[in-house]
Amino acid sequence: MIKISNLTKNFKSGDINVRAVNDVSFSVPTGKFVSVVGRSGSGKSTLLSLLGALDKPTSGSIEIEGTDITKLSDHELIKYRGQAIGFVFQNYNLVPNLTALENVMLPMEYAKVPKDERITRAKLLLEQVGLTEEKHTRKPGRLSGGEQQRVAIARALANKPKLILADEPTGNLDYQTGKMVFDLLHNLSKVEKTTIIVVTHDLEIAGKTSQTFKLIDGKLEK
Amino acid sequence: MNIFTRGIRNAFRNTIRTFSIVVILGLSLGLALTMLIAHQAVGQKIKSVEGSVGNTVTIDPAGERGFSGGGNPLTTAEINKVASLAHVSSIDETLSDRLTTSNTNLQSSITAGSLGRRFAANSGETFTPPTGSTFGGSFTTNFTPPVTVYGTNDPTLLSSAQGGGTFSLNSGKVFASNSSADVALVGSALASKNNLKVGSTFTAYGTTITVVGIYSTGNTFSNSQLLLPLATEQTLSSQSGDITEAIVNVDSLINVPAVTTAVQNLLGTSVADVTNASAQAQTTVAPLKNIQTISVYSLVGAVIAGSVIILLTMVMIVRERRREIGVTKAIGATNIGVMAQFMVEAVTLTLLGAVIGIIIGFIAGNPITKLLVNNSTNTTTSANFGSAATTVRVGGGGGRGLFGGFHSSLSSIHADIGWSIIGYGLIAALIVAIVGSAIASIVISKIRPAEVMRVE
Repeated sequence: MIKISNLTKNFKSGDINVRAVNDVSFSVPTGKFVSVVGRSGSGKSTLLSLLGALDKPTSGSIEIEGTDITKLSDHELIKYRGQAIGFVFQNYNLVPNLTALENVMLPMEYAKVPKDERITRAKLLLEQVGLTEEKHTRKPGRLSGGEQQRVAIARALANKPKLILADEPTGNLDYQTGKMVFDLLHNLSKVEKTTIIVVTHDLEIAGKTSQTFKLIDGKLEK
Repeated sequence: MNIFTRGIRNAFRNTIRTFSIVVILGLSLGLALTMLIAHQAVGQKIKSVEGSVGNTVTIDPAGERGFSGGGNPLTTAEINKVASLAHVSSIDETLSDRLTTSNTNLQSSITAGSLGRRFAANSGETFTPPTGSTFGGSFTTNFTPPVTVYGTNDPTLLSSAQGGGTFSLNSGKVFASNSSADVALVGSALASKNNLKVGSTFTAYGTTITVVGIYSTGNTFSNSQLLLPLATEQTLSSQSGDITEAIVNVDSLINVPAVTTAVQNLLGTSVADVTNASAQAQTTVAPLKNIQTISVYSLVGAVIAGSVIILLTMVMIVRERRREIGVTKAIGATNIGVMAQFMVEAVTLTLLGAVIGIIIGFIAGNPITKLLVNNSTNTTTSANFGSAATTVRVGGGGGRGLFGGFHSSLSSIHADIGWSIIGYGLIAALIVAIVGSAIASIVISKIRPAEVMRVE
């Protein structure tokens, strides 16, 4: 279970105080695939940063499977983030001079998984996301957008995270490829029993998730 | 793949940029190493010159140097007074003379050449042989150089007036300092010219002299000389108790100026000219010290330039990979881990630069050092000493000028790249990499994954 309670995040932009996330509370049962929608500037990405332990809230709490991540130290957060949370970005954000296989192995290396185990799991994950073996040794520049996003999804799953946060995962893909990637995420949430929160503009995609949260000016629409 | 491997691979991510950075760093480190090589070579030369000067004071008869000038010889009694002065350890005494066909059957191994004939012609009318010498006659344009003979109580010490060089016994033995036997050490060129070997005899001053040793010194002038025991030379040349040069050995370099003054005061300026090579050597090596200073500044400048190059490069690379750094942090990389990876990248670039720098140092170290030394010593010698550096005594006797000896010694400088230089080069590369990565590391530590998310 992911439980967000009274989450608030304030920023200072010049002399102006901006409340990017305003007293947001919701919960997501384990293994669910939910979406967060909202217009540009509504606070979606800030909410995703807070959920992903990339930033600290001004107030409120975030409990992921019983751990309140807002109370963790910086060092604990790095460890927690690496092992319990997976990220999928709109621009894939793969490391360009690493192969697909090496990109998937990277989070496992940071989590100190033994090398043999890293290789085995990375290959398995790439197969699961449908990347043929001949492409395992290709660098991102030699993969299509859809293939890069598959690698990104495999990388997000590397450390068997409890939560995957996807920021516009289909935003840079054509309709067919986007649908394929979405279906992949959907299936993985079932197979790996991983909670997935997707931030999207695409209402059609949002409509296919089990639950949709809408943010308006940092506030969750009831 | 680990941080180390990724750092190295990242260094080659952009081939053209890597090549450019490595070449520029190589030039910078090459300059640093060249300056270090010059610094070391010049330092060794200064040490060598200062070491060769030693803590000695030279006493010549007033107005006389070798076979130039005039005046009266010093006497053993005067030198004995000097021996009793404070800080005087010992005194090497020399009596010089020249042998011609009239008083020896030896033939000089030096060809007169145009220089010898000119010297003879220029001074032939006024030249007077030392008192008591059986040498007589006047020089003509058909002048044949005489054989220079030195009576000495330390044949292994070849003063600058004797042509300098390092005494090396080729065969036979060295006579005792207090010997009065009719024996001689013969310079290798003179021995060769006259077919002399150990045990051979020749005639000088109407006396049969036995060759006890053949020596060489590394220069033609000294190799063409004859060395006799001091007492023997004084007796045979009828110059009993006469000395033409005395080298006073002082107990410490620091006491050389005081002893110089004391000797001059004791003997008086009308009797003796007292000099020490220390001050002159200091003047001569002054340009080398300037080169040392310049090389240190250049070395530091080149290392700083290298550091700035790698610093700007790493900051540029970090800024370019800001998003990538954010992503790696988001998926579990620590600040230290990311910094270490960039550090490895910087070290890889600088080590490659160091390899080029070492090659540049290997190729350019010696020529640049020689160029610096030659330019500097030529300018300074000309400015300080005028023609003194090229003064040669009349008739070839008396050897090279003091400054000339030092100057030619300076010109023979040789710089080598050794393991220590290579070690310093690698250490410099590491310092450059660490200093150059410092600001990049600060930038890395400030990149928050959340900022990258917002950019997305």
